[in-house]
Amino acid sequence: MGLNLEITLGKIKLNSPLILCSGIFGFGNENIKFIDERKIGAIVTKTITYEPWPGNPQPRIYETNYGMINRIGLQNPGVFYFMRNIFPKLRKKYKRVFVSISGRSEKEFVEIIKIVSKKRIDAIELNLSCPNFENEKKMISQSSELTFKIVKSVKNETDIPVIVKLTPNVTEIKEIAISAEEGGADILSLINTIKGLAVDFKKMRVIDGGLSGPSIKPVGLKCVYDVYKVVNIPIIGMGGITCGLDAIEYFLVGASAIGIGSGFYSNPQIIDDIYKTLKNFLRKNKFKSIREMIGLLNEKKENF
Amino acid sequence: MERKICKILKNENLSGNYYFLILENNFKKIFKPGNFIHIKIGNNFLRRPFSIALFDREKIGIIYKVVGKGTDELRKKKKGEFLDILGPCGNFFPIYKNKKVCIIGGGTGIAPLIFLSKVLKKYGNDVYFFYGARDKNLIFFKLLLTGINYIFSTDNGSYGKKGNIFDVFKNFEENFQVIYGAGPEILLKKLSIYSENIPVYISVENYMACGMGLCYGCVIRIRKNNGYEYKRVCKDGPVFKASEIIWD
Repeated sequence: MGLNLEITLGKIKLNSPLILCSGIFGFGNENIKFIDERKIGAIVTKTITYEPWPGNPQPRIYETNYGMINRIGLQNPGVFYFMRNIFPKLRKKYKRVFVSISGRSEKEFVEIIKIVSKKRIDAIELNLSCPNFENEKKMISQSSELTFKIVKSVKNETDIPVIVKLTPNVTEIKEIAISAEEGGADILSLINTIKGLAVDFKKMRVIDGGLSGPSIKPVGLKCVYDVYKVVNIPIIGMGGITCGLDAIEYFLVGASAIGIGSGFYSNPQIIDDIYKTLKNFLRKNKFKSIREMIGLLNEKKENF
Repeated sequence: MERKICKILKNENLSGNYYFLILENNFKKIFKPGNFIHIKIGNNFLRRPFSIALFDREKIGIIYKVVGKGTDELRKKKKGEFLDILGPCGNFFPIYKNKKVCIIGGGTGIAPLIFLSKVLKKYGNDVYFFYGARDKNLIFFKLLLTGINYIFSTDNGSYGKKGNIFDVFKNFEENFQVIYGAGPEILLKKLSIYSENIPVYISVENYMACGMGLCYGCVIRIRKNNGYEYKRVCKDGPVFKASEIIWD
């Protein structure tokens, strides 16, 4: 009997716990090589905004030790173009499509939600944590109040499940996560990139952006570990996953699914590799499903 | 695009910091001049892009300059070792037939131009190759092909004309029907001047992450109506019409 890797995220059933992270795989209409769609649970699009955004001028990326810094700046063609020209292709190609959105104001979030909710989307991911975006000198997910407010107004507009992606750049991520849950979040994505800086002395300039890659895995694990204790909604764990064992670590500390990010750039066959390792791990340890290992090295807090 | 583990057939110093790497070609796809490969080197997180200098059924060759940690590790790779390669990546130079064409470049920009010159020659073009280098030692004579008109310049005058290759080209009394360029940005900028009258195609470089058009890290500004849009060097390029580019 073949083991399957099915999981559920709230009401959403996924074939696989492997989710393609926002910003890594373009808008999803590109012909991405090396990915077997049957082995992924869902794709999250690059973040869409209300109007088209040109993105940041160069420099946009720089390699660091065991990672990279990016400051792409949410280059995207806007929600109207996306829904008309890109989304239909994406819908045909992937079984589960999560659309990542962001806005400059509460009103923009609400307007985008109205537009995307007209189509069959499996979930909306709120990018409240893009460190490349200045929203009143603060990211939404750096404030419990703002997080609560935005999540709540989005939830009032749609019946589609809402994933809230949080930044690790806060004093206490548990508080923000609780606010997101109280606002009505169905799922959490942890973590977005960590603020970082690289110096390109050949070109005598700095790259001030978000750090990703294997160097941030311990931070991602810690955030998932802490937040799992205090919320009752599922968590998609991400940050520095480059192999199956990294994915297993995230499950053990409380993630229900895991996100594949910039590790794909290093190893484009990462999905196949992780999928295989997960199957072997379940078999070897006599787990019947991924569900059985979620939070095994963690526990929920009764009174928080 | 394919991912292959390729055996190193040769990894030799050309001169100075310049190296010539030949890999066993186990790709199914045919590579075209302008295409690049994306190489994973050791534990470096991101791959490194290199233009193709040589391509046939058995071999794929690149020319690289040691500029940092990645290329320094590449330099130490020995014959018989293996490298993890993505390719072919990016677009390619349009190939004209039976024209009088100019190829101009310097530094590692020479790499795609060597491959290009071979193909242009095959299609009956009269090929003039303007090759600029700092010093005679940095002209890779052994990689040059027969049946092509080479015009050299060196900064110190140790071979060919003394001075900048663009100046040599500018004063050359031939009318070209197409210009192809690669190399230092300053040269490419200057070549743009000619794009009002004839097609000028240039291969540009940038830092890259994915190499397959997904991350939008390597974009450059391309003219659109009265403004610009960001296009990806790895997917929409690396070859662009010089007239399209807005230089920073």
